[in-house]
Amino acid sequence: MDALTATLKIAASGLGAQSERLRIVSENLANAQSTGNFPGADPYQRKTVTFVSELDRVSGGSVVEVGAIDRDPSAFPLEFQPGNVAADENGYVKLPNVNVLIEMADMTEANRSYEANLQVIRQARDLISMTIDLMRTP
Amino acid sequence: MIGPVGALRLTPALGTETARTSSLQDGAVAGSSFADALAQAASRTVGKLENAEQVSLEALKGNADTREVVDAVMSAQQTLQAAVAIRDKIVTAYLEVSRMSI
Amino acid sequence: MEPVNLFDLATRQSQWLAVRQTAIAGNVANANTPGYLARDVEPFEKVLERTAVSLSATQQGHLGFGATEAAFGTRVQEYDGAILPSKNTVVMETELMKAGEVRRAFELNTAIVKAFHSMLLTVSKG
Repeated sequence: MDALTATLKIAASGLGAQSERLRIVSENLANAQSTGNFPGADPYQRKTVTFVSELDRVSGGSVVEVGAIDRDPSAFPLEFQPGNVAADENGYVKLPNVNVLIEMADMTEANRSYEANLQVIRQARDLISMTIDLMRTP
Repeated sequence: MIGPVGALRLTPALGTETARTSSLQDGAVAGSSFADALAQAASRTVGKLENAEQVSLEALKGNADTREVVDAVMSAQQTLQAAVAIRDKIVTAYLEVSRMSI
Repeated sequence: MEPVNLFDLATRQSQWLAVRQTAIAGNVANANTPGYLARDVEPFEKVLERTAVSLSATQQGHLGFGATEAAFGTRVQEYDGAILPSKNTVVMETELMKAGEVRRAFELNTAIVKAFHSMLLTVSKG
């Protein structure tokens, strides 16, 4: 596969990875308040995405893939809500370990990376077009 | 000769044509100066072409100013176009003259 | 250096630029990959020196640049920025700037080829 076609493949993998990351962030945000449904139950646990790269020797570029979707092991914050279904014997409810601000920042960065990959695709497509144009008689 | 520019060498062709035309139009006063003008035009064209090729080679290696390259190549194209037009006219004229019944 | 065919040099440069674009794509795609080190191609001058030497050793004519093989490799870029906890060395701004350079060089390359090609055609026309 020639270099420019490989570029498209690599940038497409970047788009896929960032999309997946965005999906996980949305899931975290949607469940930022999801507590358990019996006393002392664990709430929604934040998910994290890890990327891995794979070097393609022939073209010299590396595709990116989602390596794993893990759970954030950090502690659940406690809040005093005695009326809640999930309140323990002291009236404390475990809330999801999702920090909305962090998720929003992650989302912004994922969007930016997505845009950057899109730029790469556009450029590769233009370069291919320019090459083919050489043959066209003016 | 450098690859593709070799095919673009017009001086030999123009040289022989001007020699013939000037010998045919012996009496014409403008004969020799016309041949000179043609020879000059031809060498100017080749000069511009070589310069354009030189600048382009540097550009491909990454060492030239974009505007310089564009100017050099456009200039070469202009003189080449004119030279080719002259060449065609001369060839046509020569064929006409050779077809004239004496 | 012996006279070089313009079209051959243009082809070599466009292949080098394409591989560079691939390296940039890899960097952009892996901007968030932990442990990923940014890569780039070796400079074009080095490529010319290397292939010129091997050319004189073998025979005249084409260099046999395969379109599918990377006759020049990519290597890990030097990095002197802050070491992040993720060990990732991709700087997005640099990658975008490099992409701009690639684009400009590529446009110039194709324009030069087009111009000389049309001049050749003009001369060959009857």
